[in-house]
Amino acid sequence: MSSRADVLVIGSGAGGAPTAALLAEAGYEVLVVEEGDMVRQGDAVPFSLDQMDRQYRSGGVTAAIGRPSIAYTEACCAGGGTEINSGLYRRPPEDVIDRWRTEHDIADFDTAEIYAICDEVEAELSVQPIPGTATGASEALKRGAERLGWSHDEIPRWMTYSSTDVASGRRRSMTETYLPRAVGAGARIETGTRVDRLVVSDGRATSALLSDRQGRATTVRFNEVIVCGGAIQTPALLQRSGLRHRIGRSLAVHPTVKLTARFGDELNVPDDVPVHQVKEFAPDLSFGGSASSPGLLALALSDHWKLFGSAIEDWRNLATYYAAITSEGRGRVMALPGLRDPLVTYRLTRRDRALLGRGLARLALVMLEAGATEVYPAYRDAPIVRGRRDLAAMQGTFGVGKASMMTVHLCSTVPMGRRPKVSATDSHGLVNGTRNVRVNDASLLPDAPGVNPQASVMAVAIRNARRFIERSGS
Amino acid sequence: MKDPPDITIVTGASGWLGQALLAALTDPADPYGRAGEIRALATSKPEGDVLGRSPGVVPVVGDVRTRAGLRDLFDGLTGSVDVIHAAGVIHPGTVSDFVEINTRGTQNVAAAARAAGVRRLVHVSSNSPFGVNPHPTDRFRNDEPYHPYMGYGRSKMLAELRLLDEVGKGLDAVIVRPPWFYGPHQPARQTTFFTLVRTGKFPIVGDGTQRRSMVYVDNLVQGVVLAELAEAPPGRAWWIADERPYEMNEIVATVKSALANAGLDVTDRQLRLPGVVGRMAQAADSIVQRSGRYVTQLHVLGEMDKTIACDIAVAEAELGYQPAVELGEGMRRSIVWCLDQGIAL
Repeated sequence: MSSRADVLVIGSGAGGAPTAALLAEAGYEVLVVEEGDMVRQGDAVPFSLDQMDRQYRSGGVTAAIGRPSIAYTEACCAGGGTEINSGLYRRPPEDVIDRWRTEHDIADFDTAEIYAICDEVEAELSVQPIPGTATGASEALKRGAERLGWSHDEIPRWMTYSSTDVASGRRRSMTETYLPRAVGAGARIETGTRVDRLVVSDGRATSALLSDRQGRATTVRFNEVIVCGGAIQTPALLQRSGLRHRIGRSLAVHPTVKLTARFGDELNVPDDVPVHQVKEFAPDLSFGGSASSPGLLALALSDHWKLFGSAIEDWRNLATYYAAITSEGRGRVMALPGLRDPLVTYRLTRRDRALLGRGLARLALVMLEAGATEVYPAYRDAPIVRGRRDLAAMQGTFGVGKASMMTVHLCSTVPMGRRPKVSATDSHGLVNGTRNVRVNDASLLPDAPGVNPQASVMAVAIRNARRFIERSGS
Repeated sequence: MKDPPDITIVTGASGWLGQALLAALTDPADPYGRAGEIRALATSKPEGDVLGRSPGVVPVVGDVRTRAGLRDLFDGLTGSVDVIHAAGVIHPGTVSDFVEINTRGTQNVAAAARAAGVRRLVHVSSNSPFGVNPHPTDRFRNDEPYHPYMGYGRSKMLAELRLLDEVGKGLDAVIVRPPWFYGPHQPARQTTFFTLVRTGKFPIVGDGTQRRSMVYVDNLVQGVVLAELAEAPPGRAWWIADERPYEMNEIVATVKSALANAGLDVTDRQLRLPGVVGRMAQAADSIVQRSGRYVTQLHVLGEMDKTIACDIAVAEAELGYQPAVELGEGMRRSIVWCLDQGIAL
């Protein structure tokens, strides 16, 4: 079986959805192929195991190999990561845009233009602060930072609220915004369909080999293809298609360590996350709150379950927090023949390790100042921290090799720009050595921006989609 | 700000900071000169005789390591009394001295001060309870989690904690945390530092961009006196350092230039060692200290590739601390002082 499309967009997340919407609205005949399913909001409880099963790749369990290994999560559903994350939105900081433009020699990468696109995105997604007061876990983080005199702020989210109750929020994810726009302009979306590889010859891709859940193979022929599968799947697909030059070699993430804090009062909200972050040490180090459903709490306590495990009975008084760093380390994504998922590796530097240890201790200090009675750091054989003197014992025994490291921000595996020996695409996502294979997702970001990268992904995707439309003069 | 007390007790009076403090407190022309009695703890009779030569100083021979050793120091007090606890050991004979002098000594002085009902105690701590910064541009904030560096750091951390226990029992005590000192009254090891820099043998480990907070002793004297007299709640602690941390490259270059300006013969050569040497020395130091021994050179070399840098913003805001002297001028004055004393550099 085979079909045809003018433009094939692979993936429907923060990169693919805006790309499909803009191209369809400009008159292109667009086909979006999405490996995951369409799950309407409200059908799955946020941060639940059911959601992990339905909307995450491999049930949310994937890891980058290394010492230590770093667990990462990827979405696998229509709308991608925007459907399952906390909806927190941060524009790329100005110094990050400057760094990308200068160090990676990205042409036409104008700060004012990027910010004008951010304005559009923020209107489209209703990016706003929460109405009323934040959750107890969020307020605790803020209180601790205030007592230490450390700077903190509230991260706005792509949410609309029908009342001043935070719980009335409805996320303006891709399935609520850019994907309906794309469909409204005539784009077709095929979910549950995976792209196995592109057929490329002489730098021109002509068709994609697809398979559905039952393993039935189909072919799509196209004029243009735009790969938006995210920083792991995009390079893996390109590699499977024979495109390997500088692809998948520079994975950048924000490595994260966690702790769980126990308070005298009930503060757990299982289906929401804190909106406050501590930015005193930004961009090197940021603290925030994690999803803290009972299942995830148990996971966060599992590193020293013998000592920490009984706390779970008091789960309403517990909340999990993270310390995330900007990392000097880099990783690799390698598609291996015969394996469905690529091998991902990541290596931390000495500075990264030191910063993670100090970061976890500083985060624990915030929690003590916030009034936590006990803090449970997420690393093997960690002590319970009840006061400042315990922080010394904690830092004395911490090692990243023992920690449950994880990340949700994956970038930079197909970096754009004109930097010798590094850039894998031109300044607008056209893969080097090809005439019609483009990338338009987190893979393009030259490094991890030190803030939630999704706003950067959308801004870059819209910029590149516009450029594509202008240049090909549809 | 409170007025100076009737009696000021100074422990560690013969040390680097102690001598600088005494010089300031007993000098009517100094902004921190004061009229009352300065009671100075000496560890021996001859040391006490030297201290007693300063006007207004009453030397008392004693020992911080035992409560009995402090009986005379706290005997017969009348009027208001402040204590500046500057006694400590940084490069000891054996590791056990750290605990005996730094930890137990502080505990003893704090307990004696509480029993005597003193007005305030200022404890001179260190950067060492907090370890090293994770990267060169990181700064220790005023409040940081403890992460003691080796035996010294641990003893100073425990000293702070024991002191805070006494605060919990009613003692009014505050803490100042100075990093690496420099300035007049320097001990022999600092003379060695100048000589090594002059001859190009002071090693810059790694690329030299690691940073160090340092404190000129007169800046530290200012910080200690402000902490003593400020209206601040008991238990508060502040970093007291020069305005900004310095890159190791800048420290060495500044000292070289100050030595050359003083007419000394300074070499252009510079010993540079790879960063791994610092890490190896740190590992060796750790092993040696675990066996109870202490080797100064190993310890110093182990710290050479580290950044130890703090942010003094809270001391500026809460105490009105304003470090007046920075590296170039401070090193110039240190060298002049050495030469005035007839010390060969």
